[in-house]
Amino acid sequence: MRALYTAATGMAAQEHNVQVISNNIANMRTTGYKKQRAAFQDLIYDHVRRVGAQASDQGTIIPVGVDIGGGVKTVGTPRLMTQGTLSPTGGDLDIAVRGEGFFKIQMPDGTFTYTRDGTFTTDATGRIVTSQGNPVQPTITIPQGASGLTISVQGQVSVNVPGSTTPTLLGQIGLTRFINKTGLNPIGDNLFTDTPASGAPQDGVANADGFGDMQQGNLEQANVEVVSEISDLIAAQRAYEMNAKVVSAADQMLQSTSNMFR
Amino acid sequence: MENMLLIGLSRQMTLERQMDVVANNVANINTAGFKADKSLFQEYLMPVAHDDAFIGQDRRISYVQDRATFKDLSAGPTEQTKNPLDIAIDGNAFLVVQTPAGERYTRDGGLQINPQGQLVTASGNPVLGTGGPIVFQPTDKEINIAADGNVSVLEGTNRIDSLRGKLRLVSFAQAQRLIKDGGNLYAAGEGAAPAPDATAKVRQGYIEKSNVNAVTEMSRMIDVTRTYTQISAMLQQQGDMRRSAIEKLADVPA
Repeated sequence: MRALYTAATGMAAQEHNVQVISNNIANMRTTGYKKQRAAFQDLIYDHVRRVGAQASDQGTIIPVGVDIGGGVKTVGTPRLMTQGTLSPTGGDLDIAVRGEGFFKIQMPDGTFTYTRDGTFTTDATGRIVTSQGNPVQPTITIPQGASGLTISVQGQVSVNVPGSTTPTLLGQIGLTRFINKTGLNPIGDNLFTDTPASGAPQDGVANADGFGDMQQGNLEQANVEVVSEISDLIAAQRAYEMNAKVVSAADQMLQSTSNMFR
Repeated sequence: MENMLLIGLSRQMTLERQMDVVANNVANINTAGFKADKSLFQEYLMPVAHDDAFIGQDRRISYVQDRATFKDLSAGPTEQTKNPLDIAIDGNAFLVVQTPAGERYTRDGGLQINPQGQLVTASGNPVLGTGGPIVFQPTDKEINIAADGNVSVLEGTNRIDSLRGKLRLVSFAQAQRLIKDGGNLYAAGEGAAPAPDATAKVRQGYIEKSNVNAVTEMSRMIDVTRTYTQISAMLQQQGDMRRSAIEKLADVPA
């Protein structure tokens, strides 16, 4: 009985859905997190009676056919790359990007990753690094004894060094953008890597050529909306239950057949 | 006397198929742009095996046959997602999708951008504008899709919108002749010709949910199960009746 397997695909799809929703809720306080959504598509149809087939010698055609569908599949979990709310923290090295662009981070193996999480600190040598200690690109080293760290909307980092009355420009934090941000590959730790689907990384600077601007002393909150997640969760749970009911109904039908003759 | 078995069987076969349709609807209760299927049945009169000349007329036997599954093409509820690449269509129109097998039509407005900058569906097939695929430049931002399907962006640091194309919206005079092709796509069947639709409105930031009505599907499922069980019971009684007839009639007194 096909209904059993069809309902099973429905249960599997809703299980994915609940997984995605629970990950969104778990990350509702993660800086720079972008919510995901499970997208579904119907499976191929068995055209038992094909619409448009000839019904008689007179050339009449069947106006509606008999199409039996095979269920549902999860086609992707696209990430919703909208701007998260900025929340002021007052931290010198907390930077939020307002608009397009990812921070570029160099990993220990020399490869680059991209993040929207601007929770930066300095390491023992004065370099600006992420919470994991990987340097933000291009690498900027803050000299010892410097004070008054300022990051402009273009990402220019300047400090006051002892013995100088004018601020010293140390460098400019870059941003990177992708034509298809949703195609980035999440690797955890708020980091993404580029993929063939995301397109090649395009490096640039903030507040120019369509890039967003940098906001020192702010962090970008997750773009998860709890109310919509909870209502999605309820819908997913009910959909799962209904598919389970179809399984038991199909089972009941089979049972009545097998009990027919003793 | 055997007819009853066969008639019951014909009903059970259609019920099984109806259950498959219900199962597919329920499985797709969260599929964006999905349209529910409904089953239609018809009587199939047995052309032979009757004779009206008998006293106590012999009636024609009618079987059940499933004639069609028709698509409930009513609009599903729209949900606000705030994603600039999610669109819902207000009206009867479909989006046109370029697939390797030819043009297909969809109501699923969960769109993406591929590495070439083309506007694509979730499975990566380009969504067609009035002048072919809609392509974005790497510096485009603030994608805006107007109600008439015009796609405009802010390119680079421009303050004025640049037009990137217009979504091609088509509707069908005979929409029931569309063939479900899987992957939320429809193929135009014989006699279904796409015509440009000027009345439909595109709503950006919304997505059209499945139009499957959970309550209806659940009650139909119960209905199907109960009917199936009743016919099973009826066939069983018929079998019992026949068995007792054979036992009694063949009971030769010793």
